[in-house]
Amino acid sequence: MSSENEEATAADAVAAAKQASSRGGRLRRLGKFVGGDHRYVLLSTSVIALIGIWLSMQKRTDMSFLAPVYFVEVAMYYSLVAWLILSAAALVTKLMHWRDYAERSPFARNPLRTIERIGSYIVVIITCVLFVDRVVMGFASVTVHAIEADSIPQGGLAAAIYMVYECRDLFVTGILTTVELAVFGTIIAFFLALLLATLRILTIDKPDNDLVRFFKVVGANFAKLYSTVIRGTPMMVQALIIYNAGFAFLRGMGLSVTEINGLWSTFIAGLVTVSINSTAYMMEVLRGGLESVDPGQMEAARSLGLSQWQAMVKVVFPQGIKYAVPGLSNELVINIKDSSVLSIIGVVELMFEARSVAGIYYRNLEVYLVAAVCYLILTMVATWLLNRLSRRLDAPRFSNTSESASAVGE
Amino acid sequence: MPLANKTEKSEGHVGEPLVRVEALRKSFGSLEVLKNINLDVMPKEVVTIIGASGSGKSTLLRCINLLETPDAGHVWFHGSDLAAEHVNVNRLREKIGMVFQSFNLFNNMNVLGNCTLAPVTLKKASKAEAEETAMRRLEEVGLADFAHADVNTLSGGQKQRVAIARALCMNPELMLFDEPTSALDPEIVGEVLGVMHDLAQQGMTMVVVTHEMEFAKSVSDRVVFMDNGVIAEEGTPKQIFGNPKQARTREFLARYLDD
Repeated sequence: MSSENEEATAADAVAAAKQASSRGGRLRRLGKFVGGDHRYVLLSTSVIALIGIWLSMQKRTDMSFLAPVYFVEVAMYYSLVAWLILSAAALVTKLMHWRDYAERSPFARNPLRTIERIGSYIVVIITCVLFVDRVVMGFASVTVHAIEADSIPQGGLAAAIYMVYECRDLFVTGILTTVELAVFGTIIAFFLALLLATLRILTIDKPDNDLVRFFKVVGANFAKLYSTVIRGTPMMVQALIIYNAGFAFLRGMGLSVTEINGLWSTFIAGLVTVSINSTAYMMEVLRGGLESVDPGQMEAARSLGLSQWQAMVKVVFPQGIKYAVPGLSNELVINIKDSSVLSIIGVVELMFEARSVAGIYYRNLEVYLVAAVCYLILTMVATWLLNRLSRRLDAPRFSNTSESASAVGE
Repeated sequence: MPLANKTEKSEGHVGEPLVRVEALRKSFGSLEVLKNINLDVMPKEVVTIIGASGSGKSTLLRCINLLETPDAGHVWFHGSDLAAEHVNVNRLREKIGMVFQSFNLFNNMNVLGNCTLAPVTLKKASKAEAEETAMRRLEEVGLADFAHADVNTLSGGQKQRVAIARALCMNPELMLFDEPTSALDPEIVGEVLGVMHDLAQQGMTMVVVTHEMEFAKSVSDRVVFMDNGVIAEEGTPKQIFGNPKQARTREFLARYLDD
């Protein structure tokens, strides 16, 4: 490759990057990439070609669209092999002309270079077609057969699909319950945690009378004790204690078992457990956020005559909560996963349903893999949504900054 | 604030002191920072406190509005002892403005929000009135154009001027300045000192902790030299800078005049 050419492409790349923000710019950048010169194209496409060859050697299923046109697949197969041979030849010339490969090798010059570029796209397309034929259509075939089957199939994937299809109602209820527990639990816990974190960081102030001082000391110590006890015991144990304590309490009030089941359902007990548990962790996250606000902010507010509480609400909280947002959103993801222990008290969430399905078909491994995939999807969606939310929370700040920055410039 | 006639500058002030610090002591752990401080500040007087780092200047200033709680002694302001138990310091702090070395502007608000927070929260004024006052104050410090700017986009000198405007919005009777120019680049120190100079001309009572000897010399009515937790010497700028009595004062000033 000539150095002029190199400079030109570098300049093009910079220009393309500048336009990357607009849609048209992105399209143009893609066009540049496709039309551009790629030095390592042979190496990476050889790997893709190998994958294509391997796919082609796999068994065809009954939904394969390449089966009726066998000769097409043969042509594709040998195209890939030809590509590998071409790459090997290029590699050999490179090894022979290590220092002046770019100048002397025919592979690095037109017209062979143009052919290589076009060839590389063909290789990628062929591998994609083979991937769809074998993997996607294979999966579709397994799915169709599993759904049509009268009894649970032998194969692991087929069995998993069969169970998901047959017990779809159970899985849907389970997922919805898990989401409800995590979302409502986290919201309730946030407000409780805000209260406890405040109790924990309020200090005794000069104007306070003795009653206020007493409550501040009691509140701070209660928050400390709460955090120690809740974070120091497993959530599964907490769930069992809370459920049974509530049950025993209502029983002591003279209610019958059916009345209690209506009032103190396992779902309510589970929600209380998640909230109480999450409060302790969120309190620590919030405390960290509030304590990372510069103490000078508090001092400035106090020096103007604001009370400790007013300074907290107007100055410290808005800044501290922003610092705590990543930790708080993480707590929602943790609650999605940790609500699985609530199946111990019989909350009908995802794990409970997975265990019921496993009990019906005696196929534990497959069911739990399905449950794992469900949890993974839930947490990934939650993380994505929370990222968007936290960006939204910061957005007005960013736009404000740019506005005032332009004002400064004027 | 009515424009005061400053002709009787060096003749001393008559009447009741606005602030009287009496036998004040403060320790941090085993370190005794203030040892028996006595200081009177008369209305409309400008007092600068100078001294080496660690001599207790800032602690003394922070004790005057109770940001530090003294261990012993009294701070009289308007006839009430701020150091006594259960005194509502919040009410008294409304009348004592403070400007910090590190500005401490509220990061979650714009410039106008910083200036109106206290008057509105403490119900000293309606939002519209507070904004009107704030705009007037910002005008005085030359930053009216920046009322809607985010505080994080301002320069250090601008931040400190906003901090002064913010304190003035509460119509204080006393202004405390805790090394207001120490965090600023040398070339923008002047804009803050200019604002403080104007404020002194308007008759504001000020206590200023500073390392700006020129400012102490030209603006203050009285200079207090602190050394190792005690007031080593105090007097008019002429006395302190022209003819210091104490050896420690001479040593300290010699170091500054060298620079």
